[in-house]
Amino acid sequence: MPESSEQIERKRFVPRPAQAEVLAYRGGKMGVSAVPGSGKTATLSYLAASLVANADLADDQEVLIVTLVKSAVGNFATSMRNYLQGEFDLLPYLGYRVRTLHGLANDIVHERPGLVGLSDAFTVLDERASDDILDEAVETWTRTNPDAADAFLNGEHFANQYTRNHHWPDTVKSVASAFIKQAKDMQITHDEAIERIQKHPQNLPLASICTTLYEQYERGLRYRGAVDFQDLIRLALRILQRDADYLARLRRRFPYILEDEAQDSSKLQEEILRLLAGEGGNWVRVGDPNQAIYETFTTANPRYLRDFMDEIDVKALALPNSGRNTQSIISLANALIDWSLRHPNAAIRSKQPLTEPHIEPTPAGDPQGNPPDDAQAVYLMGEKYTGDQEREAVIQSLKQWLPENGHRTCAVLLPINSSGAKMVQRLRAENIPYVENLRSTSGTRAIVGSLTRVLGYLEDPTNSQLLADVYRVWRRDDRGDEDAERSINNVAKVLRGVKTVEDYLYPRKSDWLEDTVEDDETMIAHLGQFRAMIQRWQAAVDLPIDQLVLTVGGDLFRLDTDIATAYSVALHLRRFHELHPEARMPEFTEELREIAKGNRNFNGMSDSEDTFDPDKHKGEVTVTTMHKAKGLEWDRVYIMSANNYIFPSDDPFDSFMSEKWFVRDGLNLEAEALAQLAALKEGSDYVPGQATKAARVEYAAERLRLLYVAITRARRELVITWNSGRNGDQIEARPAAYLRGWWAQQQEAES
Amino acid sequence: MRLLKDQQRVASGYFDTTIYLDGIAGTGKTTAAIERVKELIRSGVPADSILIWVPQANLAMPYRRALQRARIDADTNVPTTTIGKLAYEMTDLFWPLISDDEKFNFGDKFGRPNFLSLELVQYYMTKFLGPEIELRDYFNSVHISRNRLYTQIVDNLNKAALVRFEPDKIGDRLKDALGDSVEQSYIYDDAQETASLFRQRCLEHNLLDFSLQVELFVNHLWPLEQVQNYLTRKYRHLIVDNVEEDTPASHDILRDWLPQTDSALLISDTGGGYRRFLGADPINAETLCDQCQVHITLDNHRVMSKELVALHDQLDFSLDPSKTDEPQSDADARDAIAYAPDINYQPQMIAWAAEHIASLVHDQGVPASEIVIMAPYMPDALRFSLQRELDAQQVPHRSHRPSRALREETASRTLLTLARLAHPHWNLPPNKFDVGYALAASINELDLIRARLLADVLYRNGKLAPFTGIKNDALTQRITFDLGMRYQVLFDWLQAYQAQDPLPLDIFFSKLFGEVLSQKGFGFHGQTDAANIAANLIDSAQAFRQTVSEIEPNLDIPTEYVKMVEEGVIANQYLRDWEDDQRDAVLIAPAYTFLLTNQPVDYQFWLNVGSSGWAQRLYQPLTHPYVLSRQWQSGRRWTENEEDEAHRQTLAYMALGLIRRCRKQIYLGFSQYSEQGYEQRGDLLMAIQTMLRRLNRSDAHA
Repeated sequence: MPESSEQIERKRFVPRPAQAEVLAYRGGKMGVSAVPGSGKTATLSYLAASLVANADLADDQEVLIVTLVKSAVGNFATSMRNYLQGEFDLLPYLGYRVRTLHGLANDIVHERPGLVGLSDAFTVLDERASDDILDEAVETWTRTNPDAADAFLNGEHFANQYTRNHHWPDTVKSVASAFIKQAKDMQITHDEAIERIQKHPQNLPLASICTTLYEQYERGLRYRGAVDFQDLIRLALRILQRDADYLARLRRRFPYILEDEAQDSSKLQEEILRLLAGEGGNWVRVGDPNQAIYETFTTANPRYLRDFMDEIDVKALALPNSGRNTQSIISLANALIDWSLRHPNAAIRSKQPLTEPHIEPTPAGDPQGNPPDDAQAVYLMGEKYTGDQEREAVIQSLKQWLPENGHRTCAVLLPINSSGAKMVQRLRAENIPYVENLRSTSGTRAIVGSLTRVLGYLEDPTNSQLLADVYRVWRRDDRGDEDAERSINNVAKVLRGVKTVEDYLYPRKSDWLEDTVEDDETMIAHLGQFRAMIQRWQAAVDLPIDQLVLTVGGDLFRLDTDIATAYSVALHLRRFHELHPEARMPEFTEELREIAKGNRNFNGMSDSEDTFDPDKHKGEVTVTTMHKAKGLEWDRVYIMSANNYIFPSDDPFDSFMSEKWFVRDGLNLEAEALAQLAALKEGSDYVPGQATKAARVEYAAERLRLLYVAITRARRELVITWNSGRNGDQIEARPAAYLRGWWAQQQEAES
Repeated sequence: MRLLKDQQRVASGYFDTTIYLDGIAGTGKTTAAIERVKELIRSGVPADSILIWVPQANLAMPYRRALQRARIDADTNVPTTTIGKLAYEMTDLFWPLISDDEKFNFGDKFGRPNFLSLELVQYYMTKFLGPEIELRDYFNSVHISRNRLYTQIVDNLNKAALVRFEPDKIGDRLKDALGDSVEQSYIYDDAQETASLFRQRCLEHNLLDFSLQVELFVNHLWPLEQVQNYLTRKYRHLIVDNVEEDTPASHDILRDWLPQTDSALLISDTGGGYRRFLGADPINAETLCDQCQVHITLDNHRVMSKELVALHDQLDFSLDPSKTDEPQSDADARDAIAYAPDINYQPQMIAWAAEHIASLVHDQGVPASEIVIMAPYMPDALRFSLQRELDAQQVPHRSHRPSRALREETASRTLLTLARLAHPHWNLPPNKFDVGYALAASINELDLIRARLLADVLYRNGKLAPFTGIKNDALTQRITFDLGMRYQVLFDWLQAYQAQDPLPLDIFFSKLFGEVLSQKGFGFHGQTDAANIAANLIDSAQAFRQTVSEIEPNLDIPTEYVKMVEEGVIANQYLRDWEDDQRDAVLIAPAYTFLLTNQPVDYQFWLNVGSSGWAQRLYQPLTHPYVLSRQWQSGRRWTENEEDEAHRQTLAYMALGLIRRCRKQIYLGFSQYSEQGYEQRGDLLMAIQTMLRRLNRSDAHA
């Protein structure tokens, strides 16, 4: 018998007309193009809940909801529960399943591992661990092939040993990594790649290098009984293709598939869902092709979603209304769409970087209507700044704005993490309150930081300073309250003063707690509990490292995303230990410090846009990258570095990140390697240099979408600035310059 | 317990014929069989002419214990056996009959055989196959750790022996049923080639692994008249329990043996067959029924309460799509279970379980041994957290996880670290952290902080220094004189040891354990778990030394052994810790392990009910328990239908088997999120939900 039941807050959803049209869905294929701020997540989860309620599902059937990132799973799950209980009076948890595409692939592979050469205990390596394997392979390869660089370095760097020893191996690694990912996406195994290289009439040196590394890399995975993220998708698809009966079973299990962020799906991912939905199946894809910003060197392409919407049996709808931005900001974003449609560069134009529909404001009377318009709140700065000057200008602007807008939210959007770090430094120096949302989010860093402190103490258990740090970690939830804060500081101070930690933790002759803290009952209670906790962790110190982290994490964290992040840390350290069996506590702690510093590409559960809530940071400056800002919104947004390096238009004077300064003929080696791979796959000719040119166009198109995403983050106020780059030779990005001119004209016309 | 009429028939009748006894778990079959053994002895049958035959050694425990307690007049114990034990004994005894047979081509036709334990098989797999796999690029599309790869090759060989098909047909059988793609076929070809290669190397070195022992016994020795005469004359009365968990090799022998006995009792647990992945064949077992003169079925359930019977029937209905009539019960299935629906995370679930257990033990006087906590998997963190929670609630507990690598056990790591310290000539000085942990584990009451102080001060350049050498008084006081002196005892012992010629590793472990660690004041004193693991390590090191030194006299045995343990090649395969542990303590174990002990309890706690692990059959890319069974018809394909049926069956066997072994109540521990932060929606949870919805609906109709 149940012992108690959960009370869930009731939440009502009032759809806009365009949303109501989507919600009228009863079956078949449907594609929904949703503009930024159109409430697509709410609409999709409401649709899912109403299908659970009305579609007459059997006990073993579920509506499948597929999302892009892990934490979106949590958001969907929460709103589904609320709708099911609040609006449909149904039991929560039943009749649906929310998964990321990788999670779904993982489920499928776990149900039928034997079909694809895996045992039930296979592990999935995260990027860091698979990176390590590739690192090893590259290191060995560059050592044994010292002359391989000759064919790729330009005259200026040919004899430069530093380039050969450092830049070259890094480049080989990133080229090989892109090649392997793409090959897996194309379902080409290393054996097949070797075979095709032998058969191909041309000499394809990059493909040969990458294939050798591919083989080594696969050997490394095999030896560890592991697969990587790409494998997961590839293998899931293979299982579905191989086992028609299993596929039929899954089709019955998931009679409806709802997919979010469909613009970022790769061909393989789309193929998995297409197979699951089946001919004439029920499949709803929601996305915004204009927000596809993860395409470079992947097989994801917004074209797939557009093509899907053009299919004959697909009902195509739009969610064009956004209540997020002011009319001025909406107009600016729409102007960018219009400009891209007549982009001065024909090659880019043909890629259709941005397409209609335009964003429309909400209809009159909408409960979540647009903020009141203020044309004065759009600042498109034409000044040519240096990097420092640009930061300074933004700092000055923030200093003016923040004191009067403590109730509002604000973000500075930058192109890459490292420029974010510089901005953070300046904010800190100026004592401006800020929050970072960079490579790993503050949430992940806080979790990793807490675990680092605990492991750091377990590494050096006699150190009272570290023990005091752990005490702060232990009481992290109490922070924020002034009294509690004072008490934490007091106790931590007392703990720091313990000279012989063993007399507190394991008293034999004398008990430090009894002897020192005589009267303060609260402190005795706190310290008594804390002692029990530390003793427990010290008893666990001999467990395998992942199990130790899970034990500590289980005691420290209560939020699902925090626990899951701790789990990711545990897995990360277990793999680290598998790769470095000699590692002990100091090495584990060091590895965690690297994660906390952001030096590892570590994806915890908190690492995504949806868990970061800007509204929890009113009166502070959020510093984040444009990529990480996707899905979020602030009252005021600064877009920095809007120059032709960040947003190129394939002009002759543009320079590109992927074209390394030491590589001959300005080649983009990643693009060239992928072109060689494509030539292998198709059996076609490879023309050197062509891929480098094509990559410029692709990149320019994607960057336009990035600018569009950045602009639509602003609710009320927008500031765009640019700088002349490291060498002072960058100019204002074409689209930014166009918008500035267009905006001035509008203002003039209105006045 | 008084026997019911049918049990009495089994216990005291039919001493001159053969009986096939079946019934679901908890109907008192083994109880009746034990009484029969006693009655046989009382009637004058010599105890050593009765043979108790079980599929797995620990299943003979109830017999051994009951017979010890009975104190019946018997000058010898009643022997117990398994197919493996018989194969070993007979091959050993009758070795000369086959050693020079040309068809085996043993490397040394006049030499003795070397019997390999499972861990030594693993070791020789590493030796024989490791280089070949590298060289020939075997299994290049299989992502699996080396140790598991070897386990599956062993598994295939064992299945061939136990199911009785030619070991060179492994690959073909798998390919016929499963080799849809070229890639898949390659995997099975590689599985065949490596198995054959291993077999060939074993023959060359007179190495007899389990599969070869069984094959030699069942196919070559048993058909010989002198062997059959030896066995059938020696054992005149057979008691064969859990025949459904045994393999076709056993069944075939029994089929020949039955007509030659004075009496035999074959016992089958209806609905059993849990060891399928080890070759168990309940369908084949049933064919033995026709060979017996008398068939008795026990159907009076003596374990489950009526609420549990209702739960059993309701869940059975939920899990079996072929059943159309809803079961009618005179009790409410919902009264047999307790659960908390609003638990989000594992720590809450663990605390919930521990609180309820504490209340059962302390408030309601339930003996701790009448409670078991299970989960489909029992990883360290879950086990550790449960243990700590139960400690906090002052509830005694014990745990069992079979087949763990020895390197994962603290006690064995401690012994290995001390061994490294005692043998500086190995040039394997331990890490300072390991020394600290080893000291903390070796010396009773020595906490991690003081252990760390000791290691910091006294461990330099791979060597320990004496406690008496510490000049800093403050430090001596911090460590305390008392603990320092215990350290000194350990130090002196290690010093004295180093002054002599090094002993074989197992003897070193044994001395260290006996002379220091198990003594009062030291870490293994009174610690049953640690003592068991030490004993396992000693046995394992001894077996390794005796066998390997015979085959490779020039090998540096101790360092090789240490390396193998640390690489996880050597696993803890001994059953000792399980068998002897009779403490009044809550058992913490994976669900399968509990099921295989075949001992009912009053209360069961099922944790992680939402996990998909409850329904998962074992997946192994190189082998397949169903396709390699005798029931598999050649030429048949393994399809999705079979797979789905296997899933359903696994869950049904597991869940219903557990319920049949519960007397009073089942607590369902559900945490919405797994330790990975994923929502849990496994088939067991769905089946329970379906059942509850059905019962609620019928309430509403009523």
